[in-house]
Amino acid sequence: MIEISQNQNLITELVAIKVINLIKRFGSLVAVNDVSFEINQGEIVGILGPNGAGKTTTIRLLTGVFQLENNAKIEIFGDDITHNPTKYKKNFGIVPEISNAFSDYSVWQNLMFSGGIYGISKDEIEKRSKKLLTQFNLIDKMYFKTKTLSKGLKQRLNLCLALLHDPPILILDEPTSGLDPISVNLMRNRILKLKEEGKTILITTHDMREAQNMCDRILIMNKGKIIADESPDTLREQFKSTSTILFKIDGVISSEQERILSKIVKLVKDKNGYYVFSSTNALRDISNLFQTSKENDIKISDLKIKETSLEEVFIHLIKDDLTSEEGMAK
Amino acid sequence: MIQDSLTRIWLLSKKNITLYIKKGPVLIFGLMFPFFMTLSWVIGRKISLNLVFIGIIAMTSFFTATAISPVVLPIETREKSLERILSSPISLNEILIGIILASTLYSLFITSIITIIFVLIFSVGFNSLITIFLMFFGIGLMSILGSLLGLLVAANPTDMTSDVMIIMNLIKFPLLFISGIFVPLQMMPFNLVFISFLSPITFLTDLLRFCVEGNNFFLVQFDILMLIFWIISLSIVNYILHKKTMPKRLSETASKKKMMMKKNMR
Ligand SMILES: Nc1ncnc2c1ncn2[C@@H]1O[C@H](COP(=O)(O)OP(=O)(O)OP(=O)(O)O)[C@@H](O)[C@H]1O
Ligand SMILES: [Mg+2]
Repeated sequence: MIEISQNQNLITELVAIKVINLIKRFGSLVAVNDVSFEINQGEIVGILGPNGAGKTTTIRLLTGVFQLENNAKIEIFGDDITHNPTKYKKNFGIVPEISNAFSDYSVWQNLMFSGGIYGISKDEIEKRSKKLLTQFNLIDKMYFKTKTLSKGLKQRLNLCLALLHDPPILILDEPTSGLDPISVNLMRNRILKLKEEGKTILITTHDMREAQNMCDRILIMNKGKIIADESPDTLREQFKSTSTILFKIDGVISSEQERILSKIVKLVKDKNGYYVFSSTNALRDISNLFQTSKENDIKISDLKIKETSLEEVFIHLIKDDLTSEEGMAK
Repeated sequence: MIQDSLTRIWLLSKKNITLYIKKGPVLIFGLMFPFFMTLSWVIGRKISLNLVFIGIIAMTSFFTATAISPVVLPIETREKSLERILSSPISLNEILIGIILASTLYSLFITSIITIIFVLIFSVGFNSLITIFLMFFGIGLMSILGSLLGLLVAANPTDMTSDVMIIMNLIKFPLLFISGIFVPLQMMPFNLVFISFLSPITFLTDLLRFCVEGNNFFLVQFDILMLIFWIISLSIVNYILHKKTMPKRLSETASKKKMMMKKNMR
């Protein structure tokens, strides 16, 4: 505790978001379980996690949609906003998971409303809105009701709304999900450009490649907990020693042969007929595999070694998390 | 600071009026109900024009005021625009006042139109200029009061307008029937007068009777005081309840539904 508060003084200027002990229960379900993290100014941080991990709930706690429980604490640029969140909400530009713009308002009306709420003058709102709508190719939809827009267009409107008041922090909940590949690329490039402009960005995603390519740091979340908080490189580095080995066997193997093989490797077959296993010591496992095959008359026809992708790291981490939990339950 | 706050309140109420004025429940309970209630009350009965006028004005202001304020929060909870509002720099008070203001303006507007039409067509007379002012003052108070009552019902953190409208009607009709609209207080047995005390509409009706007929039961000052008393009490209760349920709106409704779904699946 003492250590933290001493460090805090040194780095307050740099920390844009700091959350401590976030908790959210829905009945008996603990959707967010004691989550703490920090995001430095100018950083893009991704929260990566499977469905139901608690990403959206974390964002809703952070942005004041849900009330904080217990001794949760949030600091924005060093200011404790736990007890007075309203004033600090100006710092956030939020793109929600599902569009929450007023569906019976037109695109333009939504922008005028939002701008007014954030205290921007009318002329300025009009100027900025036109610029944003042009930038995001929405200008010809300006007078359409929001509910008539397609998902991707709504997403763009929500980004326009998030940027209208030029906030220092952007919070994007799966901004690319459900978009076509071209729009995904556009969206990613825009987000990266926003980072260049000095924005601090928190983004959630299921897409490992997106996280890997865009983020400075990745928080992996599962079952309401953050189970890893690393840079994409470190995350992969940690698992570099792990590789995935695929091999194919000529012909059919008997159940006896299978039993023998499964003593050295866990046998899982993929859709192309390859047996797949991950190994922390490829050399040892492969030579073992060959030796056993030779002794038991199993013909290996093909063998591939793959470096672990972030996707596999992710699956691995979540699996580990599950198994350790099972172990605890026993 | 205050300037910004007023801007936000104005934007919120403008939004509430433009977006929800055309919603089914608002049209049905705000406009159709007072209209048909009046028809069924008046037709075939010999009621003096003045009494009809008072009844219509009292009913219209009460019904229109309780039409918009209960539906805003449930609709916005369901459409998730409430999430946008809660994550914007808008305080609870601003949200609540934005709803009250929209509802009050709507009620004042409709009631004024009807008043003017009535005065022009049937040439209902007033005792003096002051009584005209007093009448609109009373209508204004009732508009605020009705809006607060509607908002109170919406403190139930539901996302179904039907949920709040059922409760609203359960409250609205008894309040109407025990008020002095249909039976003047002078003609009521004493213990019924006592019950009529429970309805704020009683005091508006009495105030209007002073304005139009000069034939009131209580003191005018007392009528106004009672309406203000209702407004203050409702404001306090509203603030307390909404402060409690507002943060739960987006989480509770969903979890309730999920629980119900789980039950159904079993
Ligand atoms: N309003 C709510 N009421 C009840 N349970 C909820 C509510 N919102 C979320 N949950 C539950 O909390 C858990 C976390 O949900 P959350 O939406 O945060 O997940 P997520 O990581 O955003 O998932 P996804 O990737 O699918 O968007 C889930 O089990 C979800 O069912
Ligand atoms: Mg989510």
